[in-house]
Amino acid sequence: MSRAVTVANLSKNYGRIKALDDISFEVDEREIFGFLGPNGAGKTTAIKIMLGLTRAAKGHVEIFGIDVQSKPDKARENIGYVSQNLSLSNEITGYENLLISAKLYGVPSSIRKSRITEIMDLLGIQNRADDLVKKYSGGMMRRLEIGAALVHRPKLLILDEPTIGLDPQIRLVVRELLRRLVNEFGITIFLTTHDMGEADELCEKIAIINNGRIGVVGTPTNLKRSVGGDTIQFDTKEPEKAVSILTGKFGVTKPIAKNNTISMIVNTAETILPLLINTLARAGVIVDAIHSHRPTLDDVFLKYAGSRLAEVEREGDYRHVKEVRRTFRRMR
Amino acid sequence: MFTILEKTAVILELELRKMKHDQSDLLIRAIQPVLWLTIFGSVFRQFRQLPIGDVSYLSFITPGVLAQSVLFIAIFTGVSLVWERDLGQLDRLLAAPAPRTSIVLGKAFSGGVKGLFQAGVIFAIAFVMGVDLIPNPIYILGVIGVVFVFGVCFSSMSIFVTTLLNTRERVMGMMQLLTMPLFFASNALYPIEIMPRWLQIVSLINPMSYVVEALRALMITGDLSRLPIALGGMAIATFIFIGAAALAFRRVGR
Ligand SMILES: Nc1ncnc2c1ncn2[C@@H]1O[C@H](COP(=O)(O)OP(=O)(O)O)[C@@H](O)[C@H]1O
Ligand SMILES: [Mg+2]
Repeated sequence: MSRAVTVANLSKNYGRIKALDDISFEVDEREIFGFLGPNGAGKTTAIKIMLGLTRAAKGHVEIFGIDVQSKPDKARENIGYVSQNLSLSNEITGYENLLISAKLYGVPSSIRKSRITEIMDLLGIQNRADDLVKKYSGGMMRRLEIGAALVHRPKLLILDEPTIGLDPQIRLVVRELLRRLVNEFGITIFLTTHDMGEADELCEKIAIINNGRIGVVGTPTNLKRSVGGDTIQFDTKEPEKAVSILTGKFGVTKPIAKNNTISMIVNTAETILPLLINTLARAGVIVDAIHSHRPTLDDVFLKYAGSRLAEVEREGDYRHVKEVRRTFRRMR
Repeated sequence: MFTILEKTAVILELELRKMKHDQSDLLIRAIQPVLWLTIFGSVFRQFRQLPIGDVSYLSFITPGVLAQSVLFIAIFTGVSLVWERDLGQLDRLLAAPAPRTSIVLGKAFSGGVKGLFQAGVIFAIAFVMGVDLIPNPIYILGVIGVVFVFGVCFSSMSIFVTTLLNTRERVMGMMQLLTMPLFFASNALYPIEIMPRWLQIVSLINPMSYVVEALRALMITGDLSRLPIALGGMAIATFIFIGAAALAFRRVGR
């Protein structure tokens, strides 16, 4: 398998902000590689450097062996880019947008038309080809955007938050489309997301990124396994007593009490849950509510980035989603 | 070199396709010149002592009004560029394997072409209002050339300024600050001779004056004696602004 992307020791500052702090990773051909991190983590900055749009302070990027800094145009011929904003022109038709992209990327005139028709079919928007983009729904715009990035048959598709601001069922459509591109056309995909469900479901490999640093890179399965086991959480009115009873038993980690909630990581929750409840009952500690979950990428994020994704996320993410939604509306 | 021209043509095509779908813009832009010609043209007709030669005042200001409306269109080129950058539409062009200069050139040329459409509209209005236009096709070709180059020149200036200013608010303010003096401190509405001395100097270094002079010669007076100076001045300004815009644009998004 050959290498699609090599990023080595990339750093970038905006004034005093360290947008990227010495990140390195590699993407193999025909793989879906995801950057998972909250708003402001440095995802877009990394993409801009990979495209040669922004200069890095330090470091090196190669796309299919081509150095981006010294030969940006040559490198870009292999890349399709879908930015986090909607970058299509809404005042012209979907067909015209693809036509302009085809010309920009130097698709020969003899095959332009058939190429565009093919993409319209693939996206399932062939019957809306001659409508102005401002009349499209958000999901159609996003699909067209991906289509515009495909007209020159790039070997690598880079997508910045491809499903942000979309309804859940349309997210599924977009994800399905991306998977098809890899399976049927052998494209390599690099994407960013702040949605751990999406990263988990779609990506073969994930880099956890926070505050401009990559915490860890791996497959979702391996990353979750590296957390060490399932999490058990329960509520009780006697947390100290419960902790002292459970310490050294069952757990991979020491039980941690927060208010009246106790959480601990165990090997397999199914077998340990009944034992744990029995042990506590025999000591007279009543469990009010209990639940367990398999490790999630949020647990992975906690382990390698030092915080819960959901916690860093909420405020900034909400603003970002609102912004994208506003653009969708403004485009109409 | 070939790639630059090729990609410039694509950017120009994109702009023209946008214009094709939104012709209301063209109509709205026709309103202002009509107002200028009808109101200003008829009010100032009273001042018979204006030293404008043996043409009517309406004829005198028609080239000025044409130059002004092309100026507005050209100035808007930079504004729309900043707008597109903020929307994220520029990202797509920047990420394509196209030299940045071709984006600048394509946008600037689109300003020139839009200026031509505007010229068509103003010719029609002037004709209806009974302005004595020189019907010689060679002169009309000359007008087309001057309007196009003027549009390109001031679109480049506008791209240069907006790229330097960076934020949309500053750009809007600056553009307003720029257009009014360019227009009023020129020979568009009154001959230079009647201006106070200081304004005469301003108007001599004001590129608008050269454009208006060239247009006036080609559309109304037919006196081409000063045309070479006007064209020379325009050519120099155009090269300078295109160069400045292309240089400034290299920094965008970095
Ligand atoms: N053009 C810029 N000027 C100043 N700061 C920037 C700029 N672009 C990004 N940043 C900062 O760099 C950090 C990373 O931003 P970004 O790469 O956009 O994150 P993400 O895409 O993960 O949300 C943030 O703190 C952001 O505020
Ligand atoms: Mg981002």
